[in-house]
Amino acid sequence: MSTRAGNTRTRRRSAPSAVVRGRLTPYLFLLPGFVVYAAFALYPLVRSAQFSLYDWSGIGASTFVGLGNYADLLHDGGFLAAIGNALVLIIFYALLPLAIGLLLAAVLRRAQVRGLGLFRTVIFLPQVVALVVVAVAWKHIYAPDGPLNTVLRAVGLDSLARGWLGDPGAALPAVGFIGTWLEMGLVMLLLLAGMSRIPEDLYEAARLDGAGPVREFFAITLPSVRGEIVSALVLTIIAALKTFDLVYMTTSGGPGDATTVPSYEVYRRAFELKDVGSASSVAIVLTILVFAINLLVTRIDERPETRGGRR
Amino acid sequence: MRVSPAERTMNYVVLAAFAVFALFPVVTILRDAFSPRIGVSGGIHPENLVDAWRIGGFGASLGNSLVVALIVVVVSVALSLGTGYAFGTMRFPGSRVLFPLFLLGLMIPAEAIVIPLFYDLRTVGLTDTYAAIALPQIAQSIAFGTFWMRAQFRALPQSLVEASALDGAGPLRTLVRILVPASRPAIVTLVVLVGLWTWNEFLIALVMTPSGRHRTAPLGLANFQGQYTADNALLAAGAIIVAAPMLILFLVLQRHFIRGMIDGASKE
Amino acid sequence: MHRRQFLASATAVGGMAALAACAPGTGTTDDPTGPSSDEVDTDVAGLGDITLRVWDQEVRGSQDEAITALIKAFEKKFSNVKIDRVKQSFDDLQKQTALTLSGADVPDVLQVNNARADMGEFVKAGQLLDLSGYAEAYGWSKRFSDSVLSKARYSKDAKTFGEGSLWGVPQTGEVCGIYYSAKGLKGIGAEPPTSWDELRTVLETAEKAGELPIMLGNLDKWPALHVFGPLQAAYVDPEQITKLAMGNAGGDWTDAKNVDALTELADWAEKKYLGDSPNGLDYDAAWADFTKGTGVLLIGGSWLGTDMAKAMGDDLHFMAPPAGVGGKVATTGGTGLPFSIPAKAKNQVAAAAYIDFITSEDAMKLIAENGGMPVLDTADLAPEKGVNKEIFEAFDTVSNDGVLLPYLDYATPTFSDTAGATLQELIGGQSSPKDAAAALQKDYADFTGAS
Repeated sequence: MSTRAGNTRTRRRSAPSAVVRGRLTPYLFLLPGFVVYAAFALYPLVRSAQFSLYDWSGIGASTFVGLGNYADLLHDGGFLAAIGNALVLIIFYALLPLAIGLLLAAVLRRAQVRGLGLFRTVIFLPQVVALVVVAVAWKHIYAPDGPLNTVLRAVGLDSLARGWLGDPGAALPAVGFIGTWLEMGLVMLLLLAGMSRIPEDLYEAARLDGAGPVREFFAITLPSVRGEIVSALVLTIIAALKTFDLVYMTTSGGPGDATTVPSYEVYRRAFELKDVGSASSVAIVLTILVFAINLLVTRIDERPETRGGRR
Repeated sequence: MRVSPAERTMNYVVLAAFAVFALFPVVTILRDAFSPRIGVSGGIHPENLVDAWRIGGFGASLGNSLVVALIVVVVSVALSLGTGYAFGTMRFPGSRVLFPLFLLGLMIPAEAIVIPLFYDLRTVGLTDTYAAIALPQIAQSIAFGTFWMRAQFRALPQSLVEASALDGAGPLRTLVRILVPASRPAIVTLVVLVGLWTWNEFLIALVMTPSGRHRTAPLGLANFQGQYTADNALLAAGAIIVAAPMLILFLVLQRHFIRGMIDGASKE
Repeated sequence: MHRRQFLASATAVGGMAALAACAPGTGTTDDPTGPSSDEVDTDVAGLGDITLRVWDQEVRGSQDEAITALIKAFEKKFSNVKIDRVKQSFDDLQKQTALTLSGADVPDVLQVNNARADMGEFVKAGQLLDLSGYAEAYGWSKRFSDSVLSKARYSKDAKTFGEGSLWGVPQTGEVCGIYYSAKGLKGIGAEPPTSWDELRTVLETAEKAGELPIMLGNLDKWPALHVFGPLQAAYVDPEQITKLAMGNAGGDWTDAKNVDALTELADWAEKKYLGDSPNGLDYDAAWADFTKGTGVLLIGGSWLGTDMAKAMGDDLHFMAPPAGVGGKVATTGGTGLPFSIPAKAKNQVAAAAYIDFITSEDAMKLIAENGGMPVLDTADLAPEKGVNKEIFEAFDTVSNDGVLLPYLDYATPTFSDTAGATLQELIGGQSSPKDAAAALQKDYADFTGAS
């Protein structure tokens, strides 16, 4: 992850740092954080894996079923729908915001418009609002007689008006679109950070070659922010996969199971259907999915550069 | 750099369009919050906020949120300073295995740990306490804080620590007197980020406080939605109450915060 | 992150797994055995100063006011008891309860849904207190009819529903029926329907007149059950429905009659009788819209009456659904959620006294005064006029001359979830009546076959 190996490596081999003599000292600084982290993040993850091997209602005794819960998931309609929905949500949570974020960041970088900071702040604003509040706002916007339909009817698109969250075809994109709204500001900011480090003379050179804004973007800007694109994708994909609050507050996974997602399935199975084992197996699959997608995305970034000796 | 007038106009249009898009839901909910309730005549109704506050018991839930956010921010930032300090400035065996272990925490979704957390903490009688809501969030924040502070400390010039060594300072004093003051913007950003996440956290607060005694503000709103969905004005007023503290904090700190984010992101 | 480091981390995590050796679910079991009638303690005044924690879901206007008044009266009667009341919506209480009862910090009194998914599961886990002793001491069995109490009775292993020990006591009555606006019906030139065929004509007329025939907000998944319940009774024998709804063996969701009922609901949805997108509309938003003049009929529970009447006044009317199979009026309804005592409750004596107090004859009067529908003496306590008069009479007629059908989601621990999703899909046109019947049957048969 890091590029700044720097001079720490080459200094005296024996002492951990200039001010640290004791070999144990680094561990003393690590210990408190590690203990809390291990006890309340790593250990529960291990327990989840263990729970997933049992059939348990959350009350009384449990039965060991091996990988039975996982086997059941393979032909569990609700679970498969949840995975499918999550993949669709990635488009809305990660890919669309990436496209929008690239556009906005590129514009902001070149812009020289007045009120640049204002635009940046306003577009980032959705990130700051609690998802519960976001859900309340959007649920109202999507209501059959809500603002969205009012606008559609006003411009003569009556046929498009519908109860967005109740329409089997529209509900998932409707939930996803909230994600686009949420994440575009974050992606924009990350990309802006990357673009701020591109040396200006690169652009000067391009301009001397007669490059317009579009060519400039593809030739210089885009390749330079590959690292930030990866970070943005990692963050937004994780957000897509754990869309719990929004689903809980807006649709409860409905209509039918049109908007259910793995994280909602975890909650529903554990605390509503009281099938803790199955819920844990979904949780573990969800975790593996997050890890796998992260490794995949990070690899896209690393492939050319690891050879170049990033570290 | 010069930009043609045509392009500048386009830039304005694009930015304005997305700014409107970003603001639209916020404006909708603000408008609803001051609109008349069912069976009440038109006009502006700021008393909705007062009624929502009272009926929804938001005083208590905002108080709970504040306590939880304070605990999580103080503890996790303090502990992350330690871990970030170790990883960022010291060489020791095992660091190349331990650091990725912390990074793993960035990817563990709350959903993956909430079930055993609930049942195991219940066994030891910790559910329905501030600790039950705070500890898992501290753990997740440490993962991020470690990553964040390590990057920050690595980015500082090595000479700072060396000069401190010449002054005869020990490791703790170097951290507190030299490195922390030099990292203030990054720490402020970390504080705001962790505070924001904690304030907005839903699932952990939902599951870990079944008795409802330590219900945080987002839960209070979810609960309020169940009771008052018929009265959109009141619900919107409740939503404003819950969102307001973080919105205000963000708007006040936005310059530092956004700069901190940009700096921090480019430190990776 | 490099792969080797990732693997090393994974190994470290794996090592911790070895530490976590103990299987889940080795907690202690609660003791649900309540006192027998001769050991029952009813002396509340002698308990000293206590705080009684009460959870209910009576958030709607009339019932909320009734409970508030009752709590005040109770605190006046027993000055040593302070009541700490938490109210939340049905959905929230239901979710919260499952988590809470398994913990140590439980309320003293709480409302528990009669369903197998809720009360049944809690009884099985020993998390509720057997109230049989208190029932005898306080004379609850005399106060309530068998049919009322039977909906809160389970055998101790929770296999049988409808008989056995008593786990809760209800306070209000509920009945699902048809709300209509007098102006609305007049506007399309229709009369209140007296038969299902007349009802169908009303729907057709309304649709042709460009009005919304039935207002339904089914975003929350369960409201459609309150429309389907009465409709089912137009096709299926009440005895059959009761078997299906109580999760007792012998019913069949896939028989022709049930499929016919499901087909008619799907048909209504397809003809837009339920509006363009009932699944996208919030339950509470639906009745609020109805009070503003959208929709000719609203099929739903009696609990909505008071709140809707506040906005609509005398224009709002209520009727039991037309007579179904065998000429009898049968519709979904019964009692409000019973009040129960958790097995771990700290103040069980005061809790029982509270339940007794809020279900007494005086309490019933107070409930009626505040616009709620008491489960006892309903006909006598009916108000002079207004929608509540019609609701009380409908409840009385159905309970005495017709059949109050149990809520369909009582059936199995997962039925509420299954039926909610299935009806949403049926209404949305994603699943056919046959498939819907099969999905319901699977849940029902899996449960009855296993127990």
